[in-house]
Amino acid sequence: MRRVVMFFLGAAVAVCGQDVDRSKPPETPPLGAFKLPAMAETTLPNGLTVVTVRDERFPLVTARLAFGAGSRFDPKNQPGLAEAVAALLTEGTKSRKSRQIAEEAAEIGGSLSGSATPDALVIAGSALSEHTARLLALMADVARYASFPADEVALYKQNRKQALLAQRSESSYLANEKIEEIVFGDHPYARQHPTPESIDALTPETLAQFRDRLLAPNNAVLILIGKLPPPGALRKLLEARFGDWPTRGVPPVPAAPLPEPKRSITLVDRPGSVQADVHVGRLGLTRRDPEFFPLLVGNTVLGGGTSSRLFNHIREEKGYAYSVYSYNEAHRDAALFSAAMQVRNEVVEDATRSLLAEMKRMAAEPVTADELSATKNYLSGNFVIRLQSQEALAAQIVNLKTMGLANDYLEMYTTRVRSTEPDQILKVARKVIAPDHAAIVVVGDAQKIKPALEKFGAVQVTPAR
Amino acid sequence: MRFFSTLLAAAVALPCLAADVRVPFEKYKLNNGLRVILSRDASVPVVSIYVLYGVGARSEEKGRTGFAHLFEHMMFQGSANAPKGMHFKTVESNGGSLNGSTHPDFTDYYETLPANKLAVGLWLEADRMRSLAITQENLDNQKEAVKQERRLNFDNRPYNTAIVDKWPEVAFGNWQSSHSIIGSFEDLNAASVDDVAKFFKTYYAPNNAVLCVVGDLNPAEAKKWIEMYFGDIPPQPQPKHPDLTEPADRSPRSEVYRDPHARVPAVIVGYPGPKRRSPDFYALWMADVLLSGGDSSRLQQSLVKGKQSVIQYEANLGWPFAGPADYQDPAVYAVFALHNPNFTGKQIVDQLQEEFDKLGAAPVEAKELERARTFLRAARIKELQSTMARARLLAQHEYFDGDPGVLSTEIDRALAVSSAQIQAAAKKYLTAGKRAVLTIVPAPKAPAKEGQ
Repeated sequence: MRRVVMFFLGAAVAVCGQDVDRSKPPETPPLGAFKLPAMAETTLPNGLTVVTVRDERFPLVTARLAFGAGSRFDPKNQPGLAEAVAALLTEGTKSRKSRQIAEEAAEIGGSLSGSATPDALVIAGSALSEHTARLLALMADVARYASFPADEVALYKQNRKQALLAQRSESSYLANEKIEEIVFGDHPYARQHPTPESIDALTPETLAQFRDRLLAPNNAVLILIGKLPPPGALRKLLEARFGDWPTRGVPPVPAAPLPEPKRSITLVDRPGSVQADVHVGRLGLTRRDPEFFPLLVGNTVLGGGTSSRLFNHIREEKGYAYSVYSYNEAHRDAALFSAAMQVRNEVVEDATRSLLAEMKRMAAEPVTADELSATKNYLSGNFVIRLQSQEALAAQIVNLKTMGLANDYLEMYTTRVRSTEPDQILKVARKVIAPDHAAIVVVGDAQKIKPALEKFGAVQVTPAR
Repeated sequence: MRFFSTLLAAAVALPCLAADVRVPFEKYKLNNGLRVILSRDASVPVVSIYVLYGVGARSEEKGRTGFAHLFEHMMFQGSANAPKGMHFKTVESNGGSLNGSTHPDFTDYYETLPANKLAVGLWLEADRMRSLAITQENLDNQKEAVKQERRLNFDNRPYNTAIVDKWPEVAFGNWQSSHSIIGSFEDLNAASVDDVAKFFKTYYAPNNAVLCVVGDLNPAEAKKWIEMYFGDIPPQPQPKHPDLTEPADRSPRSEVYRDPHARVPAVIVGYPGPKRRSPDFYALWMADVLLSGGDSSRLQQSLVKGKQSVIQYEANLGWPFAGPADYQDPAVYAVFALHNPNFTGKQIVDQLQEEFDKLGAAPVEAKELERARTFLRAARIKELQSTMARARLLAQHEYFDGDPGVLSTEIDRALAVSSAQIQAAAKKYLTAGKRAVLTIVPAPKAPAKEGQ
């Protein structure tokens, strides 16, 4: 526990004040090359894919066990099943009670939890690196032998219903729920959230069936990042915990045709709202789409970060909104592109007009050279900054494995951002960012803002859930 | 708890510290009083710059609420050589990210940049410390932005008004601590350019600030740039510290807030906490880890699981604005609990009190204490992975404790707390006789009917 601390009193280097040119940012040298930590991949005989990244900086191990078993696998009348399975995997197994699992996770300096995205069910675990073996044992136990005890299922249902109520008291949640429904239509991506009825219908049997159908080694990838045991020892650990997990046939991935994007205006009535959440959205592009990177760069020019057009025109110049942005939320097989803002009731009409105009402008004229180079730097720089923690790198690898991307996706990211041209952005903007066929979803007080929205067309009002 | 990740704007960092990770640093002071901390870590080519100013909501005067926060906005509105919009643009177009935040006792500004852009970040921070553009136009524009922020995060969302506006009124007796951190529209409207200029001169001086840089840096170069850009910014008379003394009368109090946006009831309970870094501070900190740290904690196991009364909770020394690293007494240890509507707020308060009383009545078993210690240690190691987290913590410990090295030694003091000390602290602090309670009752308006 010895550490050396040096104190420098007074300035170490004297510099003459009057020679300093403060009028412009200093010239800086180019950034040295940076390589992401190497990713190694192997597959166990039962089909379990294992990805390892050795990172010795911290005495930690971060693990993710991701299954192709997200909310898109929920039966139509059972939204929220995947997330319920995920949450309840850690609430009891054949050999461990819920409390035991929680205590063991704390004892190894870790955490263990399950969650579901539209595409994947993910068991997330972490531990101090000296406890890697115990972490793997815990993860294998919950993945393979969860018992869905009746009392835990009942408590989950009770609390999940209250949690859903709390979520629905947030206008942004209501807006997301509604725009996903409209944009994805009959596709399972339209049903990412449970309802009180679907929560009521959960039983230990439905949960176990979902697990038995989909949680198989050949439908999973195990990601291990951190200070890991040497390769031979790690292989032995993996064989011991996962090697005898039998391969199983898994059902095909549910899909449905996606609706043609078209303009509609939906007002979710939330009485008492002092602001309106305005979303203008339509189908976007997946990460596997050849035009994904032009859209990523174009979207960032439009509404990513504080240098974006939306931030500057709608927040800084007009003062309509505190929060305004655009995003392309990409799932494996479809994506939602949307611009969104939260504006005070009095300016709903003007602000919506400005938002639509900025989206149109993206499709009408090329981005400037300045915007383009600034945005490329922003995306490339932040990409490295965001990969500092094991959790962040794990999240990226989960994404690439569950979305069917090549292993060099992360390595190639910066190159692809940098090689984007203005005409590519213009082309993809005409297809995706132009708002003519985008749905408008607004959450707010109908009494106060409906007339303003009617300026844009017929408005369908629906009560907040 | 999984479902509430977006519930509270004031997200609370885990209360923890680490024994295995030491953060090396050097510290020095410029002639104008600016305290500088450098910490080199070349493993990823990024640098984080963190500037802390010794001014927060508790520095405000009556009739001037919201100034500290309004000022945080003004700091992004341009300075002599970096006009409006340039700060954001320069950081982002160089590949970085940035932000600022307002706290009861300090305000901070920070950016993470690719390592080769350190000089650019220092240039920007120095320019606004030296020559912020305080104009009527910028002020009017930012008053609107702050009002908009209030509408978004407070007036239109559940719980936040109760937590940020009401809870301090219940928890504190001294106006310095009890007034709203975001301020009132009236006070914001009344703010003049002169008021804001005076505030800047008083508090945004180099001798009232700490600058910390962590990452892939060359210390000699960094020192050269820091001297070059910050060295001749003139110091100002050291601002007075506000009198934060709480009234001697700490009789229990309880209030109800009817929340028009909430649909699930909640309670907040709080207790005046110990002096920062006193022996009791570490004991109460460990008490909090036992009570609220992770899924094996007492509140999770006995209330969420056992009684099935609480749905989700947060707790911390200094909740909702602080954790152990930036806790500054007088402050409260507080618990926020969203609860099952089949229980009354009073029942929840009683159940929480029962847990605190239990902690005071019997020593913690060795195994449970060991588990809590491991949890704490691991949580801190995780936290220290990012250069920004290290920069923030080093600067905060310099500001509050006069020693950034406290970041690496705190853990030992927390881990050394004995079962008997925890028991004594729970008995001394977490008693019903010193308790403040805010009950949050859902009071929604009815939605309209479906149709065109």
